[in-house]
Amino acid sequence: MTWFTAIRTRGVPLVALACLAVLLIVGVFVSIAHDRAMKAELAREAGAQADLLASAVSGALAFDDADAAQDYVDAVQVNPNVLAAAIYDEENRLVASYVRAGETIPSVAAPRPETTRFGDGRLYVVRPVTQGGQTLGTARLRLMDTPASQRFSRYAGMLLVLALAALLIAVLTLTQSALRRANRSLSARAAELAEANTRLQQEMVEREKAEEALRQSQKMEAIGRLTGGVAHDFNNLLMVVSSAVDLMQRSDDPGRRSALMDGMRQAVDRGSGLTRQLLAFSRQTPLRTAVIDVGEQIEAMRILLERSLREDIAVEIDVRRPLRPVEVDVGELELAILNLAVNARDAMPDGGRLSISVRPAGETVCIEVRDTGVGIPPDLIGRVFEPFFTTKEVGKGTGLGLSQVYGFARSSGGSVAVESPAGGGAMFSLCLPASEKALPVAAETPATAETADGVGHVLLVEDDDAVAAGVAQMLADLGYTYERVSTGDAALELVRGGGRFDLVLSDMVMPGALNGLGLATELRSLQPGVPVILTTGFSEAAATANKAGFRLLSKPYGLDELAAVLAGALTARDHAKVREPRTATDDLQA
Amino acid sequence: MSGRQAIAGVLAVLALLGEAGTARAQSLEYQIKANYLVRFAAFVEWPPSAFASAAAPLNLCVAGRDPFGQALDAAAAAQTAHGRRIALRRLGERDRTGGCHIVYLGRGAQPPENGAAVLVVSDSAVTTQRAMIHFVIATNRVRFHIDKTAAEQARLQISSRLLNLALDVRGRAR
Repeated sequence: MTWFTAIRTRGVPLVALACLAVLLIVGVFVSIAHDRAMKAELAREAGAQADLLASAVSGALAFDDADAAQDYVDAVQVNPNVLAAAIYDEENRLVASYVRAGETIPSVAAPRPETTRFGDGRLYVVRPVTQGGQTLGTARLRLMDTPASQRFSRYAGMLLVLALAALLIAVLTLTQSALRRANRSLSARAAELAEANTRLQQEMVEREKAEEALRQSQKMEAIGRLTGGVAHDFNNLLMVVSSAVDLMQRSDDPGRRSALMDGMRQAVDRGSGLTRQLLAFSRQTPLRTAVIDVGEQIEAMRILLERSLREDIAVEIDVRRPLRPVEVDVGELELAILNLAVNARDAMPDGGRLSISVRPAGETVCIEVRDTGVGIPPDLIGRVFEPFFTTKEVGKGTGLGLSQVYGFARSSGGSVAVESPAGGGAMFSLCLPASEKALPVAAETPATAETADGVGHVLLVEDDDAVAAGVAQMLADLGYTYERVSTGDAALELVRGGGRFDLVLSDMVMPGALNGLGLATELRSLQPGVPVILTTGFSEAAATANKAGFRLLSKPYGLDELAAVLAGALTARDHAKVREPRTATDDLQA
Repeated sequence: MSGRQAIAGVLAVLALLGEAGTARAQSLEYQIKANYLVRFAAFVEWPPSAFASAAAPLNLCVAGRDPFGQALDAAAAAQTAHGRRIALRRLGERDRTGGCHIVYLGRGAQPPENGAAVLVVSDSAVTTQRAMIHFVIATNRVRFHIDKTAAEQARLQISSRLLNLALDVRGRAR
């Protein structure tokens, strides 16, 4: 049965095999039945002919008329199948006969009853000749039986049809099984594909995360490399403040003191501007493109660049207008500029000039960053954008800076090129495609609130005593009364204990179980009508607060800012009160 | 049946035997005629009224002088026709033919009266007066003439197979 299993494994279904078998069996049976019917018909015809002969010849046999008998026998020759015909008398002696060539008949026959017998390809028929009950002799015929080959050829047509049917079934079943196999493999492949797709998506998510992390680390690296410059700048600022304080202590001249305080104010503003930019820059932001004016963006980086590079490096920014807007990720653009700047700084160990120019170039806007540094050797210039390629000492750079520039240019649909003339210096040009979109209308900056005397009781939550003292002084100066606690837990306890405040001003990052955001959330459900203002110097905490929908005041802030935010919050509360009278539920909660 | 001898064409041989064989030849001739008489019974149909009962034998009578002797007894022995036993009756010259179905008219016999269902056989060796069947010798063989009209008058049906073998048939529609 190996053939059977072989066929089965090829996928020919049992039903098809059964059909084939049934067809063949039926075919064979039909053939056999037909063959039998043919033989029976032949025998019947031969018998009829012999009967006819026996009946016709009875008179001739009875009355010894051999001639007449011969006439009857000769008449039988008309049938071409008759090989021999003979009439024997009662004593089985031959009376008349007809014999075709190649056949012999005995002159005295063996006595036989009525017979119809097939044998060795012939049909023997013996019929007694009787008349009126008298037996007169026998009439015998010998006929050619249809040869097997002839019979077979008669069935050849049918066999051909059967063979075709079998072939058809075989082809159909094979086709079907092939189709089924193909379907199976197709669905398997589809499943594999789906799996691969899932894997790919997972990988994409992971890759996105990795890229996010990379971007962040690139930013942090850039900032880290700026640290020296920033620290130096801060030293200068502190120097200004420190000297001014000393001088103020020595001087009673109000004009001089005022001038010194102005200088201090400027130094503090500059410092806070720098830290604000650094914090904003280092904030982890998702990739989000915006339509911007590159010139404005780079102008806005001026302080950061001027302050964070070394003193011996002059920074020039030149923006040629008109400029078309570009659609890029702002954080990435800033990082790219910073990376180029840091790269230029490192190329100028003995000082020099960093010039950034922004100019339109056809359908693009190009940013060219030039330095007067050592330049890039020709054999390395092709590799500067490769990740981790660096010529710097270990610890001085990871080699990711310029590769970020390259990646940013590519992902923005732009290009970046580098030139380094033999005389030294290098020029990086970053070209970004111009966008057809219009610049977003700048949000109207709210008019600075009048610094009017405030009225209200403020809960101040601040863990740092020095900061708390400063802020308390400012609140008192603005006309507010206040109560200070140093943790969120203490603040919540106070409010639960029945303390009523018009406003809560809370630091975000504090020791204790409850931070500023948690406190604000609790208070919002406890006293929905009381506005909460969160303050922080951490950019990430600020982003979270914004997301949660709380008012935010970024540290460091001045008196004017504090006054404006407090006044705005209280005004909004009053408006809400007028528009939406407090409900019974609110009363219960209160 | 072993006692019966039917030999076709044997008279041609007998002609060569000369005087010495005449007696034997004559005996052979009557053997054949005796045979034929018995066989006629198979080729002729009688009306049912001709028989007293279904089991009644078919009577073969020899009127006048009997030329057959034992040959007829041998030919008729255990022979049947139409399911009836064939019984021999030798009538002699004066006996009536009543009850006979076949009558052979030997020398000195009178033909039976018209109208009876009796097959009357005459012999050219005895008379030239032809009855329903009349034996003759033609080309050294025993042949016969048939008078169909007479047979039909006697309400006898003679098989066409027998008619076909007759030298001539009187009253046959051609």
